[in-house]
Amino acid sequence: MANKSSRREFVKRSAAVVAGAIVLPQIIPSSAFGMGGRIAPSDRIVMGAIGTGSQGMSNMRDFLRLKDAVQFVAVCDVDALHLAKAKETVNQANKNSDCRTYGDYREFLEKEKPDAVSLALPDHWHGIIYSEVANKKFNVYGEKPICRTIKDGQTIVNTVKKNNIIWQTGSWQRSLPNFHHGAELAINGRVGKIKYIEVGLPDGNKCIGTPPIQEVPAELNWEMWLGPALKVPYRGVSHWDWRWILDYSGGQLTDWAGHHVDIANWGAGLEHTGPVEISGAGVYPVEGIYNVPVEYDFLCKYANGIEMRVANASRLPLGMGTTWHGDLGWVHVDRGNKISASDPKILDEVIGENEIKLYKSENHWQNFIDCVRSGKPTIAPIEVAYRAISVALLGEIAMTTGQTIKWDPDKEEIIGNPRAGRMLSRPYRQPWTLPTV
Amino acid sequence: MKKQYLLLLFVAGLLTFVSACKNEAVYKTLIITGQNNHNWKASSPVLKQILDETGMFTADILITPEKGGDMNTFNPDFSKYKLIVLDYNGDSWSEKTNAAFLEYVKNGGGVVVYHAADNSFPAWKEYNEMIGLGGWGNRTEKDGPYVYYKNNQLVIDTAAGKGGSHGKRREFLVRARITDHPITKGLPVRWLHGNDELYSQLRGPAKNMQILATAFADSAKGGGTRRDEPMLMVISYEKGRIFHTAMGHADEGGGPAMQCVGFIVTLQRGAEWAVTGDVTQPIPWDFPSAAGVVLRPDFKEMKLDEAMANVGSYDIAKSTKYFSYVQSHIRNLAGDEQGLLNLEKMMVKVLTSNEATVEAKKLLLRELSWMGSDYSVPAIKNLVSNTELKDEAEFALARLQPVK
Repeated sequence: MANKSSRREFVKRSAAVVAGAIVLPQIIPSSAFGMGGRIAPSDRIVMGAIGTGSQGMSNMRDFLRLKDAVQFVAVCDVDALHLAKAKETVNQANKNSDCRTYGDYREFLEKEKPDAVSLALPDHWHGIIYSEVANKKFNVYGEKPICRTIKDGQTIVNTVKKNNIIWQTGSWQRSLPNFHHGAELAINGRVGKIKYIEVGLPDGNKCIGTPPIQEVPAELNWEMWLGPALKVPYRGVSHWDWRWILDYSGGQLTDWAGHHVDIANWGAGLEHTGPVEISGAGVYPVEGIYNVPVEYDFLCKYANGIEMRVANASRLPLGMGTTWHGDLGWVHVDRGNKISASDPKILDEVIGENEIKLYKSENHWQNFIDCVRSGKPTIAPIEVAYRAISVALLGEIAMTTGQTIKWDPDKEEIIGNPRAGRMLSRPYRQPWTLPTV
Repeated sequence: MKKQYLLLLFVAGLLTFVSACKNEAVYKTLIITGQNNHNWKASSPVLKQILDETGMFTADILITPEKGGDMNTFNPDFSKYKLIVLDYNGDSWSEKTNAAFLEYVKNGGGVVVYHAADNSFPAWKEYNEMIGLGGWGNRTEKDGPYVYYKNNQLVIDTAAGKGGSHGKRREFLVRARITDHPITKGLPVRWLHGNDELYSQLRGPAKNMQILATAFADSAKGGGTRRDEPMLMVISYEKGRIFHTAMGHADEGGGPAMQCVGFIVTLQRGAEWAVTGDVTQPIPWDFPSAAGVVLRPDFKEMKLDEAMANVGSYDIAKSTKYFSYVQSHIRNLAGDEQGLLNLEKMMVKVLTSNEATVEAKKLLLRELSWMGSDYSVPAIKNLVSNTELKDEAEFALARLQPVK
C-alpha cells in the first residue's frame, strides 16, 4: 500500500514538481519563460495528448522522434489500455515515471497547462474537444477530418481563430515532396488552366453484419466514448471501426478527404472557398450496422468553373490520389511518393522566383513545433482543413438526399433546400453541447 | 378499304408500342437445356423466373434429348424468339440446327450464354466466336488465347495450356471493367458475389468481345490463378448480340450463386441488352457492393409495402434490409414532396405502432430527423416522455425545427 498512491495524489505530486521547477525543469511549459509571449527555441515544447489510440500513438511517436523538440507530460483516453500504453511510451521517452493520465478530457483541461496538445479522437468528438482545447489557448496538432458536420467545423474554426492559437492539421501529405511538387506545378499552370480535378479515395470493404449486444470491455468507458453521439448498446465496434458508422464518421470518404481533397484544393487555389453545386450518388450496404457509403461518386462545381469529382478509387482511371487536369495536360499525385503527368517533362519543370511558391515543410510534426516557437502559421491551418472536409460533408448530403445541393461558400449555407440544411449539424445528446466561441 | 387496312395497322402498331412501354412480356425467350454437367434441372426454372420477373421476357424452357439421344429431333424454331438462353453443355446439335442458330444470331437474335454453356461445343467454330471465351472440352492454345486482367491491364495471353479451371467455391468480389456499357452503367463497380465457382483460364477467339467485369482468382483461397478472370462479357456476332455470364453455378433451388442479386440483375440487364442493345431497367435498391453478398432467395425484388410491413420488426442482431430499403426509397423520392410525405406517413405509422420495436423506431427517428416535415412532429413529441426513445426523439425534434 505504501508504494501505491491514488491517481489524484499522483497528479497532485506531479503538479508540485511542476511548481518546484527544480527537480525536473524540462516539464515546465516553455511558454512560462516567455519571449514576448513566445517560446524560447532552446526549450522543449511541453505537450499532452488526448486520444491515444492507434492514430494518437502514431502522432506521439512522430513527435518523440523529433530531436529534443517536445516533452509529453500528460495523456488522456477513455480506454485504460490505450492510456497505459501511452503512459509507458511517455515515461520511456522521459526516462521517468511521471506521465499523468486522465480518463476524462475535462479533467485534463482543468489541470494541465501544456504548450500544445495532440488530438486524435473519433470525428463525433471533434466539435466539442477541438473547440474546448482552443478556448484553453493550447496550441493544437489535430487529426483530420476536422469535423463530423459543417456546424462543428465552423465552431472549431472560429474558436481557433478567436484564441489565436497555432493549429496544425494532421494532413501530413502536405509535408511530402511529391504532393508539394504536384500542387506547385498545378497552381503555376504547368498543365494549363485547371478545369477539372479527380480525387480518388479508398473503396469501401466488407461489413460485419448485425452483431449482438456485447459486454463493454472493462477498460473502455463506453458512455464517454459515445459522448455527444446517440446512445447505443456496445456491439463490439469502437476504436478504429467507428469509421464505418454514420453517427461517428462518413467512412473512407470523410476519413480521406482531409488528405487528397486537401491536396487538390492546395494545387487549385481552392483552399479558402468551397463548391457552389454538389451532386452525386453513393452505394450503401444493404445489411448490417455499418452504414457509410461503400462507393461514392460526386461532382463539385466551383464558382470559377473548376469541377472536382470525388469518388472511391475503383471508379477512377488513375485510382487513388489527386489529378489536376488543365487545358494542356494533367498531373497526378498519390502516396508512395507517386507523381506522374500527361507529359513526363512537366515533372521536370522548375518553378521560377516570381511564381507561386507553396509553403514548404520537410516534416509535418516539426513544422508544428517550429510554428509554436515562431508564432507563424503552419502548413495545414484550420481553415483550409475545414474547407477540405466540407467538400466531403456536402457530398455526403448530396448522396443522402439524392439531390443536387446548392452551396454558398461565403455564407456557408445550403441554398433552397431545408431538408439538406438540417444535415449541416447533428444534434448532441444531453448534456453535451458545442462550446460557444 | 385501303384506308381501313392502314388504320388497322396503325392501331396494331400502337398496341404493340403501348405494351412495350408497359414492359409487358414482349420478348419471347427460349431457354435451351437438357444436357449439362451441371444441375440443369435446378438452373433452368430459376433462369426462367429471373427473366420473367422483369415483366419484359416470357420464357419457354426447351429440353433437348438426353445425352446420346437422337439430336435430329431437336429442331427449335429460333426465329420465333427474341432471346435464346443457353443452359446447355452436351451433345452436338444437328448441322441443320446449328445452321438455324447461326442464322438466328447473324440476323440480330439475342443470346445469353450462361455458366457451363461456355464449356459446350468445343469444335464448333462459330459457336466459340459467339461465346468469345470457353473452357474445358480439350480447349487449348489451338482455340485462342487466354484473356484476363493483370494489374488492371487487359492481357491477351497466347501461352500454351488447357482452357478452363476453377478453385474451391467461395464468395468473391466482382469488379466492373467497363462502367459505361448499358449493362454495367450505374452499378457499383465492386460487389461481392454469392458462393460460386470462379471460372478461370477461359480461352477462345475473343473476337468482338468486351469484358464488362472480372473477378480476382485469389490463390490463397483455393487454387486460383492470381489473375482477374472475365466474369461478364458481351460479344457481337454480325447483327447478333451475346451476353456471356460465367457465374451462377446452380445448387438445388438455385443456391447462392443464382440467388445473388448481382447475378440476377446482370442477367436481367444482359438479356435486355442482347435483345435491344440498350437497358431500360432501373438499378434495384439491393444490388450488392463490396459490403457483402446480397441474396434474393425467392428471386423477387422487395417492394415498398413489404419493407414497410417489416421495418417495425427490426431489432439488434436482426436483418437491417427493410430499413435499408426505406433509406434507398427516400433517396429515390428526391424532390418528390408528395411521395416523401406519403412515405413519412407510413414511417410515422410504424413510430406510433405498439408492435414496432424500440430499435426500429430509433432508426426511423434518425431518418425523420432530416426528411420529415411538420407532419411527424406531434408523434415525435409524444416519444420524448418514452425513456427508451427520448434521445432519438430529441435528436429528431432538434433538426425538425424550422430551418431559417
